[in-house]
Amino acid sequence: MTGTPKWIRLLIEALVLAGALLILAPVAIMAFTSLKPDAEIIHFESVLPQQATLDNYREILLNPEEIPLLRWLFNSLFISVSVTMLVLVVDTMAAYALTRLRLPGAKVVFAVIIAMLMVPGQIMLVPMYLILNALGWLDTALALIVPAGAGVFGVFLLRQFFLGIPADLEDAAAIDGCTRMGILVRIIVPLAKPALATLAIFTFMGAWNDFMGPLVFLDNVDKYTLPVGIALFQTSYYAEYGITLAAACLATTPALLVFVFFQRYIIEGIALTGLKE
Amino acid sequence: MTARRFWRIYSGYLFLVPYAVLFCAFLALPLGYGLVLSFFRWEMLSPAPPQFVGVDNYAEAFQSDYFRNALWATFRFTLMAAPLTVGMALLIALGVNAVSDKRRAFYRAAYFAPAVVSISVAGLVWRFFFQGEFGMFNAWLEPWGWRVPWLTDTRLAMKSIVFMTLWWTVGGPMVVLLAGLHQIPRQLYEAAAIDGANAWRRFRHITIPQLRPVLLFVAIMNIIGSFQVFGQVFMITRGGPEQSTRVLVQYIYETAFTHYRMGYGAAMSWLLFLCIAFFSVLQFRLMRER
Repeated sequence: MTGTPKWIRLLIEALVLAGALLILAPVAIMAFTSLKPDAEIIHFESVLPQQATLDNYREILLNPEEIPLLRWLFNSLFISVSVTMLVLVVDTMAAYALTRLRLPGAKVVFAVIIAMLMVPGQIMLVPMYLILNALGWLDTALALIVPAGAGVFGVFLLRQFFLGIPADLEDAAAIDGCTRMGILVRIIVPLAKPALATLAIFTFMGAWNDFMGPLVFLDNVDKYTLPVGIALFQTSYYAEYGITLAAACLATTPALLVFVFFQRYIIEGIALTGLKE
Repeated sequence: MTARRFWRIYSGYLFLVPYAVLFCAFLALPLGYGLVLSFFRWEMLSPAPPQFVGVDNYAEAFQSDYFRNALWATFRFTLMAAPLTVGMALLIALGVNAVSDKRRAFYRAAYFAPAVVSISVAGLVWRFFFQGEFGMFNAWLEPWGWRVPWLTDTRLAMKSIVFMTLWWTVGGPMVVLLAGLHQIPRQLYEAAAIDGANAWRRFRHITIPQLRPVLLFVAIMNIIGSFQVFGQVFMITRGGPEQSTRVLVQYIYETAFTHYRMGYGAAMSWLLFLCIAFFSVLQFRLMRER
């Protein structure tokens, strides 16, 4: 800010830096502790391991029967990628119909959809369980993939973006004999890439970190996703913090990598939700 | 209207069909079905068929000490977590906003990073921090002869959960507030500086009023989110000690998926929804004002 003395600016930044280190510390401590042998964890000497070892990781990765971590990783990837693709296709078509096709009644339809933004998913858990049970989808990946396609956020986000695309382009394409599907695929989608990227990353992270859904709808340990699988450590490896934290590290790395590479999209997407009306 | 004309006008709705099907099946239907369910006694573990019982499930909830305890725990959590998180988020956003452009993106990402850690991982890590005997916090405090019962004292456990939640969730509102600060026209500050307004007055009379809509949005979203707290409690305390951290969603989860009392679970879900709906409607009104 203009007009603030330099030493105050430095002081503020020092505080901001200290806070940032503090908030990152738990992740670092998790990583350091996962490298400690059990004895060092129980008798705490320092944050850094005195005798770093990969034993905890070895024990996890060499016991795939007891701890099917790679299986969970695969399940998480499969479910998150499927959800993301479903949401992108379905939401793009819906948002296109609601903004660009001048459909009579589109405003009302959109209002109904938007009203659902206010309904928290948690309160539908019980009826959803019974519906999925009736469909025979419980304990399958379908239970986590298909219902996620009903999410409202993507339609809302894409509609905001599509509204800003000038109509001239579509009109020109239509005169040249382009079908509506052709217009959507060749004109709208390329123009909406930033919004689609934001939605894709958001959806992926949301599905990846979803805890309640897999906890309730999955039963078989081999079907679990990473977050729910990791939660098992709370009971099965109750006092073995070395193994627990090593598993936690392995489970967190993919999400953190996605975040490091795409953090701009993620953060700007979040910022957008609060500012656009 | 000829069929051709009708087709030309309405065929565009075909694009909406895939989403509409999912929307009806997995949003509209569960919402309505949940309400219907809440008037039935449906114990999945007993062979008895679902039976209509009117408002019995709701009556049971209000007479149940467990439900009242869970409701109170949820309120306690929200009353502590929401103001603390939004206040800290504002403080951090102001700090990060004052840093030069080059490094701002780094700080923003750093403060947001915990939000991308899944709740089960975060829960395991913090359970290790809070652990009574060899947990990280008590290991640090040991040289001073302190041993804090972070998770085993009924008065402290919820505060520990709130503290962990602050770490996990402060990034989201911070990012939104930071974007809000960015939208305040610089000229306002420059004009105020020329008029001789000091930093506090600029904050009080420019930043706060200009930021008000964003601040309200963030606060209400945070309250709505806090009412739905579950993961951290489930992972760290399982509701203990003596039910002091047993929140509503956990109680619903146990009722429906441990005891398989679907009707009762659905009724409590709707009560939770009503609590949240109050704030949602408030949010909706504020959004329309803008």
